[in-house]
Amino acid sequence: MVLCWIALPVFAVLAIFSARYRRLTVESLECLFRTATLQKCQSGLDDRMKSQITGKLLRFSPASARFFYKHYKIISFVLLIVFIWSTYISAVAIYNYIEYGNCNGPDSDGFCILDPMGENSATCEIPNSVGGNGKIVYPKPDPNTPVIGNRDAELTIIEFGCYVCPYTNDAEETVKAVLDYYKGRVNLQFIVYPLPAHEFSYESSMASKCAEEQGKYEEYHEKLFEQNLVFTSQTFMNVALELELDVGQFESCMENQTYASDIEKDKALAVAAGVKGTPTFFVNEQEIIGPKPFKTFKTVIDGELGKLG
Amino acid sequence: MFGFNVEKVRKDFPVLSQRLVYFDNACMSLKPKQVVEKMNEYYEKYPACGGRSGHRLSREVDYQVELARREVQKLIGAGSQEEIIFVRNATEGINLVAHGLDWEKGDEVIVTDKEHNSNLIPWLKLKEEGVVVRVCKGNEDGTFNLKNLRDCLSKKTKLVAVVHVSNLDGVENPIADIVKTAHANGVWVLVDGAQSVPHKEVDVRKLDVDFFAFSGHKALGPTGTGVLYGKKDLLNKMCQFIVGGQTVLDSTYEGYDEELLPKKFEAGLQDYAGIIGLGEACRYLKRIGLKEIEKQEEKLNKLATSLLSGNEKIELIGPREAEKRSGVFTFNVKGMRSHDVAKMLDASKGIAVRSGAFCVHSWFNAHKIDGAVRASFYLYNTEDEVRVFVKEVEKICELV
Repeated sequence: MVLCWIALPVFAVLAIFSARYRRLTVESLECLFRTATLQKCQSGLDDRMKSQITGKLLRFSPASARFFYKHYKIISFVLLIVFIWSTYISAVAIYNYIEYGNCNGPDSDGFCILDPMGENSATCEIPNSVGGNGKIVYPKPDPNTPVIGNRDAELTIIEFGCYVCPYTNDAEETVKAVLDYYKGRVNLQFIVYPLPAHEFSYESSMASKCAEEQGKYEEYHEKLFEQNLVFTSQTFMNVALELELDVGQFESCMENQTYASDIEKDKALAVAAGVKGTPTFFVNEQEIIGPKPFKTFKTVIDGELGKLG
Repeated sequence: MFGFNVEKVRKDFPVLSQRLVYFDNACMSLKPKQVVEKMNEYYEKYPACGGRSGHRLSREVDYQVELARREVQKLIGAGSQEEIIFVRNATEGINLVAHGLDWEKGDEVIVTDKEHNSNLIPWLKLKEEGVVVRVCKGNEDGTFNLKNLRDCLSKKTKLVAVVHVSNLDGVENPIADIVKTAHANGVWVLVDGAQSVPHKEVDVRKLDVDFFAFSGHKALGPTGTGVLYGKKDLLNKMCQFIVGGQTVLDSTYEGYDEELLPKKFEAGLQDYAGIIGLGEACRYLKRIGLKEIEKQEEKLNKLATSLLSGNEKIELIGPREAEKRSGVFTFNVKGMRSHDVAKMLDASKGIAVRSGAFCVHSWFNAHKIDGAVRASFYLYNTEDEVRVFVKEVEKICELV
């Protein structure tokens, strides 16, 4: 009886690939139903499996066959407990993956079988990021920083990103979808963190600020993502021309690195917040690391909006 | 003429090329490719009706069916082809006799205590017509007890229905003596030859049996084929069992004229491919030689018995001497269910054996045994296979 419980999901999965297991799946299901309704399982599946497994073991190791045959009931119960435990763990992992984009929960970037490459948690690493004095200072929306979306929104997502970081680029589509979904209620402040190892990272950060100077921040920000990580020394001027900026002013801003101190302030904000890579998002004190799926953002934002009442 | 060569024989059975030790021959034999090819020949070359239409294909079917009937006649030594009735299996043949004979209330049928359900239930069913079924007990070791038969016989006995070779333990009953005793009392004898025809020479005329039934599927033939032999005068006296197409010479709205033998009992369109395949199986058995087959089986059974009989965890069913058990080795492993043993043998080395009550529930119930494991050998089995079987059984014995 015990093995039937384990056999059902195992055979059900195998039945997807092989017709041979479909009959066994039906038998396990029938057995499970009968035992659940306090009737005797009539298929003899348990006995058959016991004999079958013992027979297979006999081929390789009579001693292990003997052990299995004699301790079959104990082994079955152990397997059942392991099965229930692993089912529970799997269910939690699936829940975490759906809710937070990682099997291990919201604050972990450990290995996840559902995201084996860790793409949902990947970031462009910030070198020597130590998190200020060890105490995290959560970033707050700054009225002097431009926003994407409704300036008067109830909630602000603060994103530490870099225009040439592939993971920031990956997250952009989700960010747009989130802003669209919460249109009017949620806005975004994009805080640049130029990565020293990435070519054109600093230039792109500076360019966005030079565009802001001319009131075209949001458009320029979007155009930088539209480059899809392909940048040349001409890109920034070309975008400025395309957006009909005052090219002379823009060129001068870039050459003089007018906003270098602002960029340094942004970087300091990131360090203070303990940001270890881009993109990293903050919704109040909730942190989202990497290009997480839409559902993860939704869970966090709904929670924070709920707190607002 | 050239001696029996088991390796050569095995080449005729393609299924043996897989990981398989087939020891379930008392249930179903494997089929040589010659039989399969002969059956395909029907479907590919002359797949028509027999005994009805007059065209070329139909005539070929008639010819092939009659050839098959002749092969069966030769195999069991029947006097004429009219005495060979094609049926679906031995069970149907026995039922045909049970329903075809004219029974009166109080008539008695004697069976042995080791009958297959096929040679027990048809007679038990006759109880509804007032027929009495007497069970003639055998000896302790499973051999036949002629004295008990004499004691069972009475003036009301009409038929002795007896198995030739038991599918339970392989014991061969002394048919000639049984027939002599029965006939001396004016009693007919029906023999269930399902386990004898495939494995040893049978001559129904020498045995002087009145009825003899066997199945094709245990004799290298196709499933759904069988034969009832009956003495011509008895068959002529018997009522028809299943009637319809081919069983009549003519019919009106009021009645019909019965066909002659053997078609009188072969109702409806027949399994021509099967019958033709059965004919080929008989030809194959005769070509190999039933004496050689019997010797091979006994040799294998002696080997299995000598290697396992000393094992105290093995409970043998039937006589201890292998030569009394034909090619059948039936046993139990103490403390283990027969089905479990069979499944383990299959899972470990692909050894196919029968487990359970082998349709001899009555014997198992009387002896309060749940069931047993049966290894039954045939012409394509080898000594190496027996050794593999023995080794695995020994390993299983160690489990308990």
